[in-house]
Amino acid sequence: MTLTLHHAPDFASTIVRLALEELELPHTLAIVDFDGGALATPEYRQINPVGLIPALETDDGPMFETGAILLWLVDKTGRLGPGPDDPDRAAFLSWLFFTSNALHQAALAMFYPHRPAGEANSEAARAAAQEQIVARLGLIETLIATQNPRWLSPEHPSVLGYYIGVLVRWLTMLPPAPYGIDQTDFPHLRAVLAAHEARPAARRVAADEGLGTHPFTHPGA
Amino acid sequence: MSYTLYHIPDWGSSVIRLMLEEIGAPYAIAPLDWDAGDFDSPAFRAVNPLGLIPAMDTPEGPVFETAAIILWLNARHGGLGPAPTDPSRAAFLSWLMFTSNTLHPTVMTLIHPDRVAGEAVQAIVQAAALEHLHEEASQIEAMLTAKDPDWLSPRRPGALGYYLGILIRWAIYLPEDPGLRFSLRPFPALRAVLEAHERFPAARRVAEADSLGPTPFTAPREGAIE
Repeated sequence: MTLTLHHAPDFASTIVRLALEELELPHTLAIVDFDGGALATPEYRQINPVGLIPALETDDGPMFETGAILLWLVDKTGRLGPGPDDPDRAAFLSWLFFTSNALHQAALAMFYPHRPAGEANSEAARAAAQEQIVARLGLIETLIATQNPRWLSPEHPSVLGYYIGVLVRWLTMLPPAPYGIDQTDFPHLRAVLAAHEARPAARRVAADEGLGTHPFTHPGA
Repeated sequence: MSYTLYHIPDWGSSVIRLMLEEIGAPYAIAPLDWDAGDFDSPAFRAVNPLGLIPAMDTPEGPVFETAAIILWLNARHGGLGPAPTDPSRAAFLSWLMFTSNTLHPTVMTLIHPDRVAGEAVQAIVQAAALEHLHEEASQIEAMLTAKDPDWLSPRRPGALGYYLGILIRWAIYLPEDPGLRFSLRPFPALRAVLEAHERFPAARRVAEADSLGPTPFTAPREGAIE
């Protein structure tokens, strides 16, 4: 399998890179030059028509969208999440799409609050996003505390552990005061993320991208 | 194997009803009543902790989120899109995820603009959402024109055709201000896909059962009670 990941350090493509490293799948990084307008070129739009990263070139053609790529990797390798015939698949798919549709989108609303209603209304959009983020992380915390699923666990690496790890990193580090999250409110989730950031794959990516020693649980360190 | 779909006609669960009719799987409808507080009941929160539909009971436990249910059903029954081993699944998954996390929320913002940043700014939010929807529909239109994929085509029914059909229905139908309603006119390839999908037998059955009118995706106001 020949894989090329279109990437910029500490962007959503880092989530895909963590999965590729954990799977030990050989891949090439194509570093995207944002400021040079690389996402808008016709060549890049051939790979990702919506002009975002991550995008992954595969033997089956180009892919985009973080969650889509993660699911495709799980199904190609049979690792890092339940496969199509696994009885855990229903719950795994539900929470993968929840992460992509609800948690990731609320995080983007926090980081780009001008998008829904312009600069003048950024504060209102940010306040709404803050409320959603805390509620949605609370649902994930309850899920782990009550069901301890294998696909989001300190015992087993998973695509969802890495996906939520990078989102929690940003939500801890990036929002301006008084926004942001306190990870001690989510102890079960934090244990899952601590286990993921300690894995050799995560350490390699963190070292290469300058993400610190505890990229998910102490992102400023 | 039988399923129970938690349902209100013409809500997100209608997307899943279209899938179930298309694959011919047996299912029961569990009607929910928003005003009666059914979405907050402990029984329903045990199915979907988010308290949203669509959600469905399966012999392997509950499944929720529209695209998650679609992929789960497709892996077990086929007939809705590329199978897990099909090379065209790479592109299908990319566009399904895009529809789920980008286009779907844009339509929800267009029809519920007060939810994003409060009622004071909802007119601005709604106008921006319509602009975003045009951009996202243009991206789908360009993909259809360039690639003509089997998984989103007038030639055969598919999950993404039905999913987009319901989303576009709402975007045409639900904004009160006619100036803020979506139009398919600039998107002929997408329109052809949706026209074909609303004529497939599964769509006819769901349109009848859920009172969606004769052309639910492309002209939802036809035959509707205004």
